[in-house]
Amino acid sequence: MSDSKYITLISYDGFEFVVLREAALISETIRAMLRGPFREAQTGRCEFGEIRGPVLEKVVEYFHYHHANRDRTDVPDMDIPVDICLELLMAADFLGLDSKPQMRDIS
Amino acid sequence: MASRNRPRPIRRPLINKEAGGFDQCWATLQSAMTDIHNKNASKLSFENLYRASYKITLVKRGEDLFNKVKEFETEWFHKHIIPGVDELVRNNLPSIALIQMTTSSSHERREAGERLLRGIRKIWEDHNTSMNLIADMLMYLERSCAETKQASVYATTIGLFRDHILKYGLKDVDGSDQPFIILDVVIAVVLDLINMDRDGDIVDRNLLRDITGMLEQLYETDEEKENEKLYTTIFEPRFLAASDVFYKAECEKLLRESDAGSWLRHTRRRLLEEEERCVTSVSNFTKDSIAAVLEKELVLAKMDDFLAMEGSGLKAMVDNDREEDLGILYQLISRIDKSKNTLKTNLQSRVMELGLEIEQTLKNTDFSAPTAAGAAGEAEEGAEGADKPKALGPAAQQTAAAIKWVDDVLKLKAKFDSLLENCFNNDLIIQSAITKSFSDFINMFERSAEFVSLFIDDSLKRGLKGKSDEDAEVVLQKAIVLVRYLSDRDLFERYYQKHLGRRLLHSKSEIHIEKELVRRMRAELGNHFTAKFEGMFKDMELSKDLSTNYKDHIRNLGDDDRKSTELAIHVLTTNFWPTDVMGRGVLQDGDTSRSDCIFPPSIKRLQESFYKFYCQDRSGRILTWVPSTGSADIKCFFPKVPGKESGPLSKDRRYELNVSTYGMIVLMLFNDLASDESLSFEEIQLKTNIPVPDLTKTLTSLSVPPKFRVLAKEPLTKSVKPTDKFSFNAQFVSKQIKIRVPVISSTSKVEGNEERKETERKNDQTRAHVVDAAIVRIMKQRKELTHTQLTTEVIGQLSGRFKPEISLIKKRIEDLLTREYLERMEGDTAAYRYLA
Repeated sequence: MSDSKYITLISYDGFEFVVLREAALISETIRAMLRGPFREAQTGRCEFGEIRGPVLEKVVEYFHYHHANRDRTDVPDMDIPVDICLELLMAADFLGLDSKPQMRDIS
Repeated sequence: MASRNRPRPIRRPLINKEAGGFDQCWATLQSAMTDIHNKNASKLSFENLYRASYKITLVKRGEDLFNKVKEFETEWFHKHIIPGVDELVRNNLPSIALIQMTTSSSHERREAGERLLRGIRKIWEDHNTSMNLIADMLMYLERSCAETKQASVYATTIGLFRDHILKYGLKDVDGSDQPFIILDVVIAVVLDLINMDRDGDIVDRNLLRDITGMLEQLYETDEEKENEKLYTTIFEPRFLAASDVFYKAECEKLLRESDAGSWLRHTRRRLLEEEERCVTSVSNFTKDSIAAVLEKELVLAKMDDFLAMEGSGLKAMVDNDREEDLGILYQLISRIDKSKNTLKTNLQSRVMELGLEIEQTLKNTDFSAPTAAGAAGEAEEGAEGADKPKALGPAAQQTAAAIKWVDDVLKLKAKFDSLLENCFNNDLIIQSAITKSFSDFINMFERSAEFVSLFIDDSLKRGLKGKSDEDAEVVLQKAIVLVRYLSDRDLFERYYQKHLGRRLLHSKSEIHIEKELVRRMRAELGNHFTAKFEGMFKDMELSKDLSTNYKDHIRNLGDDDRKSTELAIHVLTTNFWPTDVMGRGVLQDGDTSRSDCIFPPSIKRLQESFYKFYCQDRSGRILTWVPSTGSADIKCFFPKVPGKESGPLSKDRRYELNVSTYGMIVLMLFNDLASDESLSFEEIQLKTNIPVPDLTKTLTSLSVPPKFRVLAKEPLTKSVKPTDKFSFNAQFVSKQIKIRVPVISSTSKVEGNEERKETERKNDQTRAHVVDAAIVRIMKQRKELTHTQLTTEVIGQLSGRFKPEISLIKKRIEDLLTREYLERMEGDTAAYRYLA
């Protein structure tokens, strides 16, 4: 599973973002995507059919911001431009970023 | 017109609405599920599937999706899985109706069973993997499910597995329904394999663990309640029941075929085995329950039978010091019974039996053989012939008996102490039980107080002269241990006083050891108990000083009379010393005139001189001479016998005789006699006023044994009668110059029956007084008490000295009532009041 340190996230309009694998794993969806026998896990590339480039860019920024500050408390909020906040909300919901990362019971 | 600061409206990519609709999404998902089940998922894109379920959930048709998934899975089971399972079962079990018992060999059964289980395991694992992936796929759906509290996809699908596969009813060859479901088959096979494992066959334990693991993850209902795991509700009870049956049978077999030692070892092995099994084959969850089953069937059920076995049961284990067996037994019993009652009672009864056996052996042992002579001490009456080994006289035999009894008891104690340490882990409960039994049988034996005192006497006299301090220490320890067990301490005190008196007066033991022993007794039993003994020690020291002072005094008087006799004196304070030493014992014929015996004039002068010296520094004291316990050294001159030219009789002989005081008095009489005159017994008695029994003994020792025959007796019989005549034996010859004529009362011997009764009677008298004193003391303090309270108080106070009988206490209360120390309380006759 941890073949390479980085994965690629691709928006539907063709933008590709290379992300630290560890940083991206706070998303439950991405986590599920990368385990198991599916194509994404093998290639290390995740295509999102409903997320636009700029939005995905913000998401990736968030991943890294979170990862960099993961050991600190009282971290100030990231800057989010108003005009993409609605789409960002939906993307966050899609990616399972609206709650704290939980480990699911895998038997 | 879009301002840069307003949220941009969501623009979805151009998708056909229908294409994004429920059915299309579902089709995608369905084909994906098929692929997953067929292990073909690598060409799928997770994002697609996830998005499909996402879309369905967004249009609020999540529940439909859920149901569709369920339907799909159910159908999948029926179409693809069940036939396989059916065949699996059929191929591997000859006939489903005979699940419990088969005629095939255990090897075949094992192979078949393992094949079946492997098949089931594979199905389960595949299902598990697939369901995990599918649940991932439907993650978005589940997240919304969680809010509405529906069972998760995963739980539901697991439930489907349970319902459609495990609970699938099996059909027999002819298609009719059997009462078994696959779950039953699986469990039966598992149990069968476990039993084979117990019998020693090698089975695949990992396989078993996987199957039980599977059961642990399945629940009775989809709510997955913690205590409703299939493992707990179905498997575990059956497992415990089957184990129960198995071990019950095994225990019976053990009882029939082997002995207690093997049973113990076998049980221990099984306990370890089952504990291990809970790690390797079944769940750790069951550890305590299976241990309980084992304890019930293997340990407890037939324990009494095993322990009662001849040759290997508890009795044999104790007798033969089988420490390993006893250790295992102790551990097993401690598991099931914190108070270890069975073990305790068994040990106690064994101790009692062995203790009473000691007494029995004693009665049966013949102590008269010469090889037992080592215990006899000095040879006393009945000694004949100078050089051959002497047979023991009856009194010496009794002493030997006493010593043997004590030795045996000490050996028994050492044995049980070793068992306690090595097997029973110094367990307090067992220790107190054993101590109690020891106390019981020791006190049941009526002569224990006397025997213990004799043992100490013997050890101190013979054993410790010249031994090192450590050896002495060992003996002292043993002595104290025994004294601790005795409950009739006042009786022991009486005997000890008597024996100690004799030892001190005849200097038979080392003083510092005596003192050490008394010091320990004081620590153990209290001041009051040892006061007399300490008084005796003090008297001895004082007497030594007195003697030296007196010698100086005489020298200073300038009385340089060569013929004066040297005096070594012991002054004994009356109360400290035993009464018979003091010569105040009651003689058979009530003669109490011991201190009136007539001393020769030279001796009388000596006595008066000393008395004057003694009273110089003290006033108001009376000294009474006790001739029965003293001794004297006499120089004797035997002139040569005329007419004999050669041999010892032709020479003058001078000897120094050491005799008792009575002996001295008698012999001095013959000084004034002509050589051919004789004195009759009665004449001697008149002249000396020595009491008859003492005189008889004295004369016997001086005239009967050839070694000490300084007096010739007429007639020359072995016993002395009042009609005998005695004269100076001019023919007396001895190889030694210094001759010690044995003193009769220097050895402490076991009392004859009469003497013992006498001692006990005196003891009882003293006890009556002690009880009186205790009652008065208690009543004075408490003023009013009921009868029961008073009795309890009295017993409590006197417990350090002896155990008073209730009837004795009652009698003393009556006595005190008549003497008007107490009165009955009006209205309540069972209560008393103290009368000042």
